[in-house]
Amino acid sequence: MTFFTIILRSLIRRPVRTGLTLVGISIGIAAVVALVGMAWGYEKSIEKQLDVIGVDLLVSNMSAGIMPKVFDASLQEPISKLPHVAETTSVLMQLLSVEDAPMMMVSGREWDGFTWNKLEVVEGRMPKNADEPAVVLGRLAAEVLKKKVGDTVQLETSELPVVGIVDGKAVVENGAIILSLSVMQKATANEGKINFVDIRLAPGTSKQAISELSEKIRVIFPEGRARAANEVVSANQGFRIARAMSWSTSLLAIVVGVLGVMNTMLMTVFERTHEIGILLAVGWRRQRVLLMVLCESALLGLLGGITGVTLGAIGLKILEHTPAIRGLLEPDLSAKLLLISVAIAVVVGVISGLYPAWRSSRLSPSIALQS
Amino acid sequence: MVETAKTSSGDIVYEAAGLKKEFDGGKVAALRGVDLQIRQGEFVAIIGPSGCGKSTLLASLGSLDRPSAGTLTYRGNSIPDMPDPAAYRAHEIGFIFQSFHLLPTFTVAENVQIPMFEGNKSRSQRKERAVQLLKSVGLDHRLGHFPSELSGGERQRVAIARSLANGPSVLLADEPTGNLDSDSAQQIMELILQLHRDLGMTLVLVTHDLTIAERASRIIAMRDGRVISDQAADTPTTALQ
Repeated sequence: MTFFTIILRSLIRRPVRTGLTLVGISIGIAAVVALVGMAWGYEKSIEKQLDVIGVDLLVSNMSAGIMPKVFDASLQEPISKLPHVAETTSVLMQLLSVEDAPMMMVSGREWDGFTWNKLEVVEGRMPKNADEPAVVLGRLAAEVLKKKVGDTVQLETSELPVVGIVDGKAVVENGAIILSLSVMQKATANEGKINFVDIRLAPGTSKQAISELSEKIRVIFPEGRARAANEVVSANQGFRIARAMSWSTSLLAIVVGVLGVMNTMLMTVFERTHEIGILLAVGWRRQRVLLMVLCESALLGLLGGITGVTLGAIGLKILEHTPAIRGLLEPDLSAKLLLISVAIAVVVGVISGLYPAWRSSRLSPSIALQS
Repeated sequence: MVETAKTSSGDIVYEAAGLKKEFDGGKVAALRGVDLQIRQGEFVAIIGPSGCGKSTLLASLGSLDRPSAGTLTYRGNSIPDMPDPAAYRAHEIGFIFQSFHLLPTFTVAENVQIPMFEGNKSRSQRKERAVQLLKSVGLDHRLGHFPSELSGGERQRVAIARSLANGPSVLLADEPTGNLDSDSAQQIMELILQLHRDLGMTLVLVTHDLTIAERASRIIAMRDGRVISDQAADTPTTALQ
């Protein structure tokens, strides 16, 4: 028999209570995995999309919301003439409710811009020119909308034919409806407006040069900011709010978990007063009793964490395939998130066990033996 | 029989002077000034009616309770001021209780191993020692049984084996036969006396059974929290009642 046997035995002997506590913790941790996994997944999906397209710098007015404000398309020209800028292209991208899908990424792209380059036609064709009123659908978008080549898509007030299905190599690309910028502007009543200028830099552009370029863009477009592709998400207030909300909701779930474990451990300590009295009477140090209760609590947290991570991962996989989310993001189920979640569960266990452990270690052996 | 620590006879193991213990903020006085000395190897029986303070005295000797006033020493060291009272309980004394106080979810062998966690024995050494001790109390065939599967006498044997786990030099027994039928009580007393004789352990035994007390080398009678008599066991017990 080891010290761990003693800890495990006290959890096993009350299977219902231990089970219910595990359910409490695991739901909290599952919420952490699901909510934070979604938030991180969305950020990563956007970053991956920009990486696949090959955007180095992104000019936008990311003042608030998930999508940046529109601005005049004429701003692209002076930006394209700045030093170190190899290529630019304009984009008008919006999250719109399209037919039965509550939210879809709709991307209007400057005709012949480099943002079309990585799209691979898997069925049908690309639009013939900038003015053809037609869309191509990312593979996931086609599945979500249940559309095939030849069908039409209702975009705001315009009904546009689907001329092709494309593979964009990234979830966000595959989940998008893609069309030429001019058609998008017309369909959404944003003539002459864009909300992104995507920039490709000249090879070997230094960080210092990028910094100087950003300052020059700021002079041209004071409301906007040029950000490196990997900074776009972290700088966006909408994403920050989403991230904060996911963590704060998770925190609530964690608090519920803490209360659950604390209640269980306090009940356990109350019920085991006599047993703790025996341990103290036969010579166990108070620290050992404290450690025993803390370890039980931490083990509850660990088991709850593992269960919660499993439930959260399953939940994320289910969410990933719901119509509201499909194609918008690829949930983040990274080892980092899973480890953080399990670590949170263990910390929850330890914190919850602190008071019960302290209380049990302060018991008077003679009084405890009489209980 | 299991080896245990011994000291030279004649050493004072316990010494109490003006020992008091009050409960409930002084409303209840369990000990009202106890003076006594117990020497190494003695078998001292403490007798008296219920509520006379004999169990409180034993709890104070075992550092389970802190006296309210007076001095109480173990081999010259103040028990209430011991820096590590757990080490004293784990290594110097063995407790035997009336109601056994075994852990119900642990097997017989595991119960005996519990005190050994306060020591430097390895897992296998703990197990080996438990088997050895249980063999010495005649329970080596019950190693994997739970306390609920044992008779009262067997449970007390397990408790005795547990009390010897870390080789104590003092056994403190509080009504060890109080919950047993007469046959089992007889066997348990024989076992305790055998330990006392073979291991040279100091034995302090609380009882209200005069026939048990008569087997001690010395009988301390208590009443209302005070020692009213402290005599060699050859004194007629009727004089102590």
